[in-house]
This record gives sequence, C-alpha cells and structure tokens, in this order.
Amino acid sequence: MTLQELYEVIGGDYQEVRGRLPSDKFIQKFVLKFLDDKSYELLLSSLEQGNGEEAFRAAHTIKGMCQNLGFTTLMASSTELTESLRNGLTPESGPLAEQVKQDYERTVAAIRSFQEGLAT
Amino acid sequence: MSSSNKQKILIVDDSEMNRSILVDMLEGEYDTLEAEDGLQAIGILQNHSIEISLVLLDIVMPKMDGFGVLEVMQRRHWIETVPVIMISAENRSSRIDQAYEMGITDFISRPFDAQIVHRRVKNTLLLYAKQKDLEALVAEQIYEKQQNSALMVDILSHIVEFRNGESGLHVLHVRTLTELLLRRLVEKTDKYDISKEDIGIMSMASSLHDIGKISIDEKILNKPGKLTNEEFAIMKTHSAIGAQMLESLNVYHGEKVVKMAYDICRWHHERYDGRGYPDGLKGDEIPISAQTVALADVYDALTSKRVYKPAFSHEKAVEMIVNGECGTFNPLLLSCLQDISENIAEEMAPKEFVGPSKAEITDLIQNFSQHRELSASNRTLQLLEHERMKYSFFAAMSKEIQFEYTITPSMVTLNSWGAKWLGVEEIVMDPFHNETILSLLDPRDWQTVFDQLEGTTPERPNVVYECRLSYKGKWRWFRFILQTVWEGEEPAHMTGTIGKAVDIHDMRTNLESLERMASYDGLTDLLNLTSARKQIEARMKAHPDSRYALAFFDLDHFKDANNTYGHAFGNQVLAHVAELLRQNVRGADIAARVGGDEFIIFLEYHQELEAIIRRVYRSISGGDFQGFTVSMSMGVATTEVVEPVFTDLLKAADQALYAVKQSGRGRFQFYDPSLRSLKPTGGSYADQSISPIESQEDGEDTVKKKHN
Repeated sequence: MTLQELYEVIGGDYQEVRGRLPSDKFIQKFVLKFLDDKSYELLLSSLEQGNGEEAFRAAHTIKGMCQNLGFTTLMASSTELTESLRNGLTPESGPLAEQVKQDYERTVAAIRSFQEGLAT
Repeated sequence: MSSSNKQKILIVDDSEMNRSILVDMLEGEYDTLEAEDGLQAIGILQNHSIEISLVLLDIVMPKMDGFGVLEVMQRRHWIETVPVIMISAENRSSRIDQAYEMGITDFISRPFDAQIVHRRVKNTLLLYAKQKDLEALVAEQIYEKQQNSALMVDILSHIVEFRNGESGLHVLHVRTLTELLLRRLVEKTDKYDISKEDIGIMSMASSLHDIGKISIDEKILNKPGKLTNEEFAIMKTHSAIGAQMLESLNVYHGEKVVKMAYDICRWHHERYDGRGYPDGLKGDEIPISAQTVALADVYDALTSKRVYKPAFSHEKAVEMIVNGECGTFNPLLLSCLQDISENIAEEMAPKEFVGPSKAEITDLIQNFSQHRELSASNRTLQLLEHERMKYSFFAAMSKEIQFEYTITPSMVTLNSWGAKWLGVEEIVMDPFHNETILSLLDPRDWQTVFDQLEGTTPERPNVVYECRLSYKGKWRWFRFILQTVWEGEEPAHMTGTIGKAVDIHDMRTNLESLERMASYDGLTDLLNLTSARKQIEARMKAHPDSRYALAFFDLDHFKDANNTYGHAFGNQVLAHVAELLRQNVRGADIAARVGGDEFIIFLEYHQELEAIIRRVYRSISGGDFQGFTVSMSMGVATTEVVEPVFTDLLKAADQALYAVKQSGRGRFQFYDPSLRSLKPTGGSYADQSISPIESQEDGEDTVKKKHN
C-alpha cells in the first residue's frame, strides 16, 4: 500500500497534506507516530469516568493531530465530539464518541497494515 | 547552556506528535526546547528566559493552558522580550482576539504548513532581533556615559581639594570650548577619526589637563610676578606629572577616558611647531585632543583675569591667537575657532556653575525618555540572569529552599534544589490546596505564618519564623525568612511573598544538646543549680499565688565515705542518691544537685507539706548503699514564711539545714524566723555563679522587715 492509497482508505486528503508538509518521508514518519499517541486511550477512560474536561482535551488533541495529518474523516468526527465536550459532558457526547471510535479504529487498522507492508 | 549560536525556540504543546512535527520543521535552523503543558513552559521560561528567542504556544493543555502561560508571561514582563506565536486549531475569533490582546505576536492555525511555520517564525525573530539590537545599542551608550560621569566625578572630587577657585572655572571653560571646537572640527573634516562619543569623552577628559599642578609648590603656582627660569622649569613638570598620575590610576586602567586624559595631560603644552614641552612633538604627532585643549587653554587664559594681567575681550583674544601671538596652532583648529567665534561668548558665559555640558544632559534625557521601557534592557536582564545564576549556585551549596509565591495566579515557584529536596514540582499551582505542600508544616505553624504575613506592611515586609518541616516523614527544624511583595501605592496591595527556608536542624539540635549539657549535672544527670534556679524562678513567676517549698539537704558523713572508700565510691553514692531522688519526687517537682553532696528539691504543695517532705526524706535517708549508710540532713523553707524569692528561699533552707547539723544531723527541719541569726552552712552554692547570697546583716534586715 502506498501512502496515497492509505489516505484513500482512511478518508484523508493526501494532496492537501503533501502541499503543506515537506516530503513523503516526513508525512510517513508522523502517520506512523499516530499509532503511538495515547490520546485515544485517555479519551475512552475519561469518558468512562465521566471526566468531561479531560475528555475534551483528549478529543481536542486527536482533532489537532488529524488536522495536521489531513485525516479528514476522523478529524470531522473528533471535531464534533470536541465541540460537544467544550463545556462539559452533553447528551450528544455519547453517540459522537461512538462515531469517533469507529473512525479511529478504522484509521489505526489501516495504518497498521500500511506499516506491515513497509516491513516486507 | 548549549554552546550553539542558534536561536532557541520553546515549543509548548500537550501532543507529543504536534511537538515533533514542529521540531522536525524547525530543526537545523533553530534549537528547540519542548514543554508538554503550561506549567512546564513557565518552569523553562523561568530558568532560560534570556536564551529563549521565541515561544510556540498551544492553547488547550492540561495543568495550565496557553492563556494561563500568557498571563504569567505578562505578569512577569517576559512577553516584552520573548515573542509568542500561538498555535491552535482554535478558530473562534474572540479567542484569537483575546490572545492578541495578551501580547502574542502571531497566530498559526492548524493544520501546520511547513512553509508558513518557517516564515512566521523567521519574521518574528527578525522583528525582535532588530529591537533587541537597538536596545543593546542604546543601553551600551547610556552605560558608557554613566561610567564616564561617575569616573570623572571620582577623579575630580580628589583634585577638588587642591584646586583654587580660579582653576575651577578654568576647567569648565576649557571643557566647553574643547567640545565646541571638536564638534566644529568633525563637521569640517574627517581627517581625524573622532566619533560623537569621542567628543564627549575628550571634553570630559579635558577637565583633567592641569591635574599635575597639584604637585607644584603653591608659592610658584600662585606667584604674582614673573617666574624665574628655575621656577618655570618646575612649573613645566606639571604636564608630565599629571600624565603619570593618570597612569597610576590602577582601578581605571584601560578606560578610554583615562587614556585620552593621559594624552591631554602630557601634551597640552606641546606646540604645533615643535617648540613645546615636555616631548617637543610637532604637528599631528600631537594627539588632536591635546592640540584642541591647548588652544582652549590659551583662549581661557587670555580672557580671564590673572594676577599678572587683565582679562582680554573675546574678540581681542581670538585676534591674538590667530595672529600667532600666543604660540602656533593647527591651522584647521584656528579656522574652527574663527567659525565658532560667535557662539563662544554665549556658550561660555552661563556655564560657570553647570556640571556636565548641557548638550550631554539633553542627550541623556532624550535617550532615557525615548527608551523608557528599555530600563530593563538586555544588559540589565543579563546582569540579573547572572546574579540569579550565582545566587542559585550558592543557594544549592548552602542547601536553601527558595520560593516565590504569587497570589494571582496562586502559584509557588521553588528553586530546583528546594523542589528536588522536598520532592515537589518546581512550580505548584494552587499550593494551599495541595496535599504535599500542606503536609510540609504542622497546621498550627501554617496558621502562625499566615497570621504573621498578614501583619506585614510595605514598610515592614519581613517575617522570620522557625518551625519544623516534614522531610521524608521526619521533622527537621527550618528557619523561614519571608518578605511580602507589594505593588502600587496608596494603598499598596500585597501580590505575593518571596522567601527562603534554611535547614537549621543540626545547628539547633547541637544547640539543644549544648544547652542540655550546660543545664545538667554530668555525674547525676540532675539539673545544676543555675538551671534549677531559672526553672524555679519561672515557676514562681507564672503562679505567684501558689505555695512552694525548697528543701536543701546534704549527706551525713559523706566525707568519711570519700576518705574510706575513695572518690569513685563517693560518686557512686551520689549517683545512687540522685536516682532515689528522681524516683521519689513528683513529676512537677524540681530536683537539682547544687554541688558536692548537696541537693535541692523544689515543690509546689496544696496539702500538708510535712507529710510530703517526710515521705521524700524517708525514701532517701536510712537506706544502705554497699555498706555505706545513706543518711541526710535537710532544711526546708516555704513561701509561707519566706518571700518567694529564690535566693531568700535557698538561704533560709540553708539556715534550717545548719540548725539540723548543730543538733546532731539525720533529720529535717523547717525554717522559721527564730533561725534567722544562724549562720548558713555556706555550702558550695555560695561559690556558684548565681547572685551572691546577701551578707548576714542584710539577711537579718530582710527577715525583720517581714515579721515586724
């Protein structure tokens, strides 16, 4: 899988990213780094504990990374979630978080298989 | 501090990935530091604010957000020298406006564009670099001027005592004229490499042209008539001597002004045609500064009244000089003199009581008023930074905890040694809701400290307080030295506290053990007389209405024990008695060894005293210690009969003891006034350094007064 194909799978804007960031190598490095980020775990656990403030920050961070990496789909759902959490937990937060979970899992799964492709 | 000359950028973002992206983008061209929340950022700024050229700041972060960081940067005036570019996915304009209002220079929104980040960072740095250079330049100038003036005041104040009234004015005239001539000279030609700054220094230095004269005999110096050849030869030495004096000014060696003053002193009597002294220099071999001063000197001599001549008018003086009647001068300088001829009279006249030249003052004031905000210029900041480094080094050596507390935001900053030692962060927000911080002191100590701080004023802002501080579960004594910080006037308000805590535990425990050693008798571990007296007096003072008794006893035939069995055995007997004493007095009683085989017991009583005394007496007396029969004689005085004064009680008890001894030992007796004529035993307490027991007669008087 190429980087461009990866972006297609996860619903991202490769051309836009390519215009902003210096090189494919640069992009690839940070796409792989996305796997190491702990914000998602933090988001889940703080939602579980009902800690809206922490959940907001975690969602906000995910949104920021997606912006930088041009992960359009996940960015859209995490932006909505972030807004719903800005002033604490709201009834919409639950379903919006479900959407983020779906998009995040899909994104991460795709990056993993991209990573495996690199190894071989 | 890294040795690299690259500019340092602090990147503050809670997402490691976002930081990495920025680091990757900026790496190569800049050095980067990273902070993962606002608090860390403040910590780094606190320690490296001089080195950091730019901050890239995220808004949403745990612990302290970007706005919090900006608030602190504003409060501490960092924002004035360290530009901040805010980075965020934030797109609500109200928040962006707020950030600009708080002093950010630029805003970069996510997603990052490598080129945009680069360009904005570069532009911001350029903008600030220019400003910083400008600051440095102005600061440099102001600094140099101040140095000069201070130096001149210093030297002049030394010669002031030597000069006569005439030369005082002369110095000012020469200085003004030198400045005028030089200004005109640089307008006319660039033949001499003289900067604007040099003019200032040269005219200042001109004040010193005649300082060598202080070594010339006053008779010659102020002689009304013509000097003899011999006298003139002596007079001529003043230029070389003045130069020599400047050379020996060790402290200022290497100062530009001293170098120029040297030239002027030595060569202001050289002549352009080579016929001057001391070195016979010719033409431009003579430094231009000295040539100018020579001209100014001659002009002022002509226009001033001297003992041997009247004052010539300005026009006449200029005419005489230009016509070569007073020596030969550099033609360029002569034309300068003619050029400024019209200004001279007006510039010189009112200057007599003015210190530094008017132009110079104006320059200084302009510099200051244009750059008032530069009072904390780079140089100052660097000096401060240097001081801070020095201080924290010494603080680490002396194991001090230093801290600064600000009320808004409620935050305490600790020095790194202190934070490490206490096991807390260097910056703690809201410390009074922080368990770790609160557990450092006993709540009562916190309360006392707060109360004392609340009682401070801007005039008396200091609090010194000693208490125990919890360190790894153990309490150690610390001395807190605190100073409240105030802002504004009428009324000033408290903005925080700075302070340090010094570990005095060892010192204090040493002191306590010394105190203990001084208070206790080494053999018996009972109190000694001095400290027993202190305690007894304190007790009686605290409760003056209670009834007290003082029992004074010694061991019967103790000398025999010593003589028969030796001193070591004697000591064992004493220790044995002391032990019995300790076991049989009540907790509140005070037992002490007075010296030798003499002891006292001091007690407060509420019921019948005799029963108590009998019990104590029997518990000690009558027993056997390794074949030695312990028997004692005891005198007891009470405050019912004697004034509650320690020495009176002791003396009365002693008299009672004497009565016991006279009637065959081995019992106790209470003092009563009938015993007053008895001689006290004059026991070993009499040689101890407590206030001397009154003489017999005085004692009688006291007792009489009381019972009459």
